[in-house]
Amino acid sequence: MDVLKLTELLPELPTERTRLLDNLGRIRREVGPLTRELSDALADHMNIRRGEVHEVISFYSFLQVPVDAVRVCIGPVCDCLGAKELLAREQEHANGRGRVVLGVECLGHCDLAPVLMRGDRVEPEVIHETNPGASLGLETADRTLADYEARGGLSVLRDLPAKAKIVEELKASGLAGYGGAGFPTGVKWEAVAKEPAPRYVVVNADEGEPGTIKDRYVMELRPHLMLEGALIAMDFADAREGFIYLREEYATARERLQEALKEFHSAGLLDGRSLELVVGAGAYICGEETAMLESMEGRRGMPRLKPPFPSQVGYLGRPTLINNVETLAHIPAILRTGGEAWPRVRLWSVTGAVRRPGCYEGPLDVTPRQLIDDYAGGATGDIGAVVPGGAASGILPPAALDVPLTRDDLRDWGAGPGSAGFQVFPTSYSPLRLLTETMRFFAEESCQKCTPCRIGNRGMHHVLEELEHGRAAMSRAQMEEWLEAMVATSICGLGQGAPFPMRNAFRHWPELFAPLEEVATMGSP
Amino acid sequence: MIRFTLDGQEVGAREGELLVHAAARNGVFIPTLCHDDKLDPYGGCRMCVVGVEGSPRPLPACATRVTEGMVVSTNSSVPQFRRTLTEMLLAEHLNPDPGGRPNELTDLAEELDAEAPFILPDAKREPYDDRNTFMGYDPDACILCARCVRYTQEVMQCSALSLEGRGPEARVVPTWGLSWLDTECELCGGCLSACPTGAIYEKFEEATERPEQALKKVKSTCTFCGVGCQIDINVDPGTNRIVKVTSDPSYVSNEGNLCVKGRFAFNFVHHPDRLTQPLVRGDDGELHPTSWEHALQAAADGLRRVKAEHGAQSIGFLASARLTMEENFLIQKLARTVVGTNSVHSCEAT
Repeated sequence: MDVLKLTELLPELPTERTRLLDNLGRIRREVGPLTRELSDALADHMNIRRGEVHEVISFYSFLQVPVDAVRVCIGPVCDCLGAKELLAREQEHANGRGRVVLGVECLGHCDLAPVLMRGDRVEPEVIHETNPGASLGLETADRTLADYEARGGLSVLRDLPAKAKIVEELKASGLAGYGGAGFPTGVKWEAVAKEPAPRYVVVNADEGEPGTIKDRYVMELRPHLMLEGALIAMDFADAREGFIYLREEYATARERLQEALKEFHSAGLLDGRSLELVVGAGAYICGEETAMLESMEGRRGMPRLKPPFPSQVGYLGRPTLINNVETLAHIPAILRTGGEAWPRVRLWSVTGAVRRPGCYEGPLDVTPRQLIDDYAGGATGDIGAVVPGGAASGILPPAALDVPLTRDDLRDWGAGPGSAGFQVFPTSYSPLRLLTETMRFFAEESCQKCTPCRIGNRGMHHVLEELEHGRAAMSRAQMEEWLEAMVATSICGLGQGAPFPMRNAFRHWPELFAPLEEVATMGSP
Repeated sequence: MIRFTLDGQEVGAREGELLVHAAARNGVFIPTLCHDDKLDPYGGCRMCVVGVEGSPRPLPACATRVTEGMVVSTNSSVPQFRRTLTEMLLAEHLNPDPGGRPNELTDLAEELDAEAPFILPDAKREPYDDRNTFMGYDPDACILCARCVRYTQEVMQCSALSLEGRGPEARVVPTWGLSWLDTECELCGGCLSACPTGAIYEKFEEATERPEQALKKVKSTCTFCGVGCQIDINVDPGTNRIVKVTSDPSYVSNEGNLCVKGRFAFNFVHHPDRLTQPLVRGDDGELHPTSWEHALQAAADGLRRVKAEHGAQSIGFLASARLTMEENFLIQKLARTVVGTNSVHSCEAT
């Protein structure tokens, strides 16, 4: 620990509880990984009980990890494409050199799989495979605010329609939250506007659903577009303070947003208000909106009980409008063309066993086959399974390749479009392994607060691991009971959504679970 | 009063009352594990979820407030999850009885006939050994309801325990894994009293073989200070010796909270050095047992002699911290009016 650096830094650090996460991030970057001594020094400086700072630090994956650590992604797509071998190679290479190497849950760069981060640098180098797209136009990146304005950017913000008109257009567009929950945006905006001021706006840029890279594409290619969407939301909600909660692993996006925010400042677009970047510290659950609010308020990112919803009781107990990055980025186009005329599109992250993995704007009712063949250049081999929209959305067999990926069509298959993180797995990657890796992810990322999520996910992971060895850890009937309890009684979407891939697998790959059918009674096989 | 429907019956509740309380007053017991009336509603264990009309999912009765016209179902008319949730908790509950304290989880498991289908391979937690002599903690009995942690934060306002980590690594640990003696802990034992599974327990030199339920509880008042905390002295009926002190949340003056002295410092009762009768020093210089009458007479004579020889101001009174305010009043009365000195002090002030 560099005591000198700490004594220099400490007086600069603000003491409001809401700055805790930011302060911890700065200490990690400027002094070193958070130890007990650093934690206690910060706790005393901020007048927070030491134990509470300990709780917060230990909640996140990266605060006790050096900034130059090598982080190898072991999410399902990377796992399928050789992550374990990559991790082993890196570990061997680091042996005796004092470099920390660790396997981490999805890094959000599945198009580059298998992928790792050396400090803030992503390997292999970040490239973007995308298409023109009528709503977001990702194909042409905006380097500066001038680029953005030259394409008609800021025109909507500078001539904003009346609030009622905005709600009307949003409703007419059918836009529904693209973070995964799919709540109608117009309804959400209307609800927040009815609540008393002061109100806050939060941009959810904590994209973490394995297989989902779309928000990163938006922020890296068109950061100004997202910022315009955020400022429209702030104008709409009369919010003087806005926040962008960005996941720590998105180093390139962080840089792009910081530059763009500087430009917005210089252009006077932030006069009389603030739009701040809050950087996470490695926790999937912080993408859940109430967990995000807890995290922003300087506590462990554990979801709140709902109701009340953030639109009524959000950041610091005030009405808060929370939108996903992509959702906000579509809003300038919707208000420009009118809700009816807007083409009803979304960004599909297409990764895994395809020739051109990337992020493509396409219609809501696109089919898996179209995504693979027309957008991503075709599959690299025989397709064994596809994941329609992120880890919690389900797992589908090749028979589903021509099903439109809409909420209604996927319901018949027991799945959903989720965050549109479409993943293709080859026949060489067994569905059981995919399922095991998926449940391991949920078990690792559970905040631990509620029983069904904390233990249910670990239980499912255990059963699957046993199945890989041909053993039955519990009966199929009891497994169904556990899954139902997870869906019904979990506090948030993590535990509620995790059973979807399990149930899909029961239905589409029943042979995987044959050993469980023989377990008549609970307990031993 | 507001009206709501509970399992088909229209019943009353106080405005803003928690569902779990309103149901209990109307004869419907809803089991909870993470709920503690002293703490803010948490809704973590999910054991108390009930069906509420209009809600897409069952809601935790410990964190849901009754509203006018609410329709609540707690019985078999709605899906029941208690047994499954109990099975889950048992799947990482390696040690149900580290210290003889009651275990609400195993009680519930027995009632619901629930068993763990397996023990999770990562259920084993790093053992914790603390050098303090009052409290022990076995992480393998912990169900992560966080009642202890929340007690330290919300009631004691101190930094003694932390909810550490996330996912399978989540643990309750004394802050940074230190000994309690090296944290802000005052060893009040409140975390212990909040623990529903006995994971935190009393460490006593004089251990009893009997579980807490088999002990005889004698209600009394703590004698350590004037607050008058109500306590239950737990007596082993076999040996007729005090083995622990507990307190009940229903007790008025202290709501079940105690300090380190009230909860743990009872061994003076059976201590061989304890004075059990008055003693007066004889001419041989040794202390001899005597009657109260004689002892008080000896004290009065001594005070009179000192006052006669050296004056009243040579005498000072030092009262025990264990006295009540009324007793302290009498001490100063004795000092001022009988002896005639203003030198009166209580060791409580030091």
